[in-house]
Amino acid sequence: MIELFDVTKRFGSETAVDGISLRVEKGEFCALVGTSGCGKSTTLRMINRLIEHSEGEIHLDGQPVRSFNEELLRRRIGYVIQNTGLFPHWTVARNIGLVPRLLKWPRGKIQARTDELLGLLGLPREEFADKYPHQLSGGQAQRVGVARALAADPEILLMDEPFGALDPITRQTLQRELQDLQARLNKTVVFVTHDMDEALALADRLVVMHQGRIVQQGRPIDLLHDPVDAFVESLLGGMDRGLKEASLTCVSERMAPFGPRLLASERIPYRAPLSQALSVMLWHRVERLTVVDDEDIPIGELSLRRLLGAKPS
Amino acid sequence: MTTERCSPNWVLLCLMSAGLLAWLTLEAVSIAPNRLVAGTPHRAHEVHGWWAALLAGLPMLGVMVLAWRPGTRRLQAALALVVGLLVAMPLWLATAVMALADPDIPQARLGIGASLWLLLFLWLLVLIELRTRLNLSRAFGWLLLLPVVFAWWLSLSFWLEPLALYREYQGRSDQFASAIAYHLTLVGAAVGASLLLGIVLALCMRRYAGMRKAGFGLLNVVQTIPSLALFGLLLAPLAWLSARFDWLASMGVSGIGWAPAWLALVGYSLLPMVRNTYVALEGVAPAVIESARGMGMSRRQTFLQVRLPLALPVVLEGVRITTVQAIGLTAVAALIGAGGLGTFIFQGLGQAAMDLVLLGALPIIGLALVADALLGALAERLRHGGTP
Repeated sequence: MIELFDVTKRFGSETAVDGISLRVEKGEFCALVGTSGCGKSTTLRMINRLIEHSEGEIHLDGQPVRSFNEELLRRRIGYVIQNTGLFPHWTVARNIGLVPRLLKWPRGKIQARTDELLGLLGLPREEFADKYPHQLSGGQAQRVGVARALAADPEILLMDEPFGALDPITRQTLQRELQDLQARLNKTVVFVTHDMDEALALADRLVVMHQGRIVQQGRPIDLLHDPVDAFVESLLGGMDRGLKEASLTCVSERMAPFGPRLLASERIPYRAPLSQALSVMLWHRVERLTVVDDEDIPIGELSLRRLLGAKPS
Repeated sequence: MTTERCSPNWVLLCLMSAGLLAWLTLEAVSIAPNRLVAGTPHRAHEVHGWWAALLAGLPMLGVMVLAWRPGTRRLQAALALVVGLLVAMPLWLATAVMALADPDIPQARLGIGASLWLLLFLWLLVLIELRTRLNLSRAFGWLLLLPVVFAWWLSLSFWLEPLALYREYQGRSDQFASAIAYHLTLVGAAVGASLLLGIVLALCMRRYAGMRKAGFGLLNVVQTIPSLALFGLLLAPLAWLSARFDWLASMGVSGIGWAPAWLALVGYSLLPMVRNTYVALEGVAPAVIESARGMGMSRRQTFLQVRLPLALPVVLEGVRITTVQAIGLTAVAALIGAGGLGTFIFQGLGQAAMDLVLLGALPIIGLALVADALLGALAERLRHGGTP
């Protein structure tokens, strides 16, 4: 659990973070979003003390972060940054084993953990363990970056725009992988991004920052429905909010059992978001889709009426 | 092979036509009855006649033909021809000795003339050009020179005794070995000291911005002082110091000799060394340092395990520049009695004996090239696997 109490950071006369309070529960995925320079990165880096806060208190499981030795603190917290920050002169395996080595784990345990992580992130050990970072693609390098952050099995993971430098397709793949990973590992994650779709897709809790302050925080769906001001509304997509909301809801939540009519010719997987279903309808000019399961077997149908559902209150 | 259709390689064509012209018009060798008399020059066709001279020019013509449509196979053939030419040069000199030397004058000396020096230079350039075009490794380039070295060794030990350069060497073989050793010791001591000092200075400059400006300013000034002037400037203070402190004098410190030479060499070496070390340490990607700190490495661990190893290839680049520069500068230091290979150069200049000058100059060039190659290869190796 991470708690920030009225935390302020000043650089000289400039206030980068202005009295923010925040509580991230254990196992919660919290996304800090906002325009560049809003203080979200600074907030993140104050948690692992790469930047020292000027005022207020930051607690980790009820203990102030200043009560820890800063190096020991950081070894307990996973950290992923945009440009991976992999050491170019170390192999992938050595990079991943960095924190366990700092923690003086026995050699065999480090090796086993490295192999486990490579497997977890879909990087075959035989192919990747001895490669150097410059031999990896952007997506592979960032997977190694995530593996390195997870190496010592930290409870907390801080991620600073980890997918910001990747192409859209790789980015989506990695977002999905991170979602699966989080479902399995259940870490406490603080994730900084300026990509609202990314934040909406991943976060349990959305924290919108503007000029060093928290403007609004809550569940993504609540923010979409009830933005506190015009800034949050535009950040969440303005007129596109309908589609963003649709992207948060699964087809399976709105599908109906088969009706008396014939199967609709166009299909949609039950796990796809509603926005995708809508897109398929628009593309094929149809009002009805057949919902299929993972094996492509029809399990229900989705009509435009049901897709639209009840108007959100 | 797509390269079959490519345009002529003008570099090779120019170099080889210049070589051919030099071979046919400039003096190839000169022969003198003793060390004092100036030699009689002979052009290539005056040694074995026109037919032989033209025949010897054929391989060069061959390279030019091959360079006209430079496919990979043709360039490989050209490479073989050039290595062959380089091997043939000492052997040709041996035949020249037999043709020209008068058995009645055992002290006769054969001088290498302008055309052969020029050819040696041009052919080495051709070799470099071919090595780059054919993408051959550095090691293979050196391997190509092995037969050439062997040919020279063979000729010198059996047939080339009258070669003037060799006679100068024979008269001073002990001195020669110790001069090389001394030269290298002085260079090593200067580069070693400037490396240590350079790292300390670079570290200080990283910490204190004020020191950075002042430091680079001072080192820039030192760099602009002509070497002879710097040796001269050190003369008076060192002489005074050694007169004042007996322990300095007992170490051999005085106004002339190794002490001012070493100090000046360190002075000249510092700027490239400090600059490279500083730039290398600063040039490490901030993201890498940030992640090292973020993972919980201490400052010390970050420096020793991340910043320093990543900076090392560039630091080594500084060592390379400095070493090559110091090998050359040490020659001048002979003027203030510092010894080394420069001694031969200045003796030779004093006695108007060009071959003695060469005896000093050629090994200096050789040492500089070898040092350059070795340190370059080392830097390349360190870079391997690291930054692309």
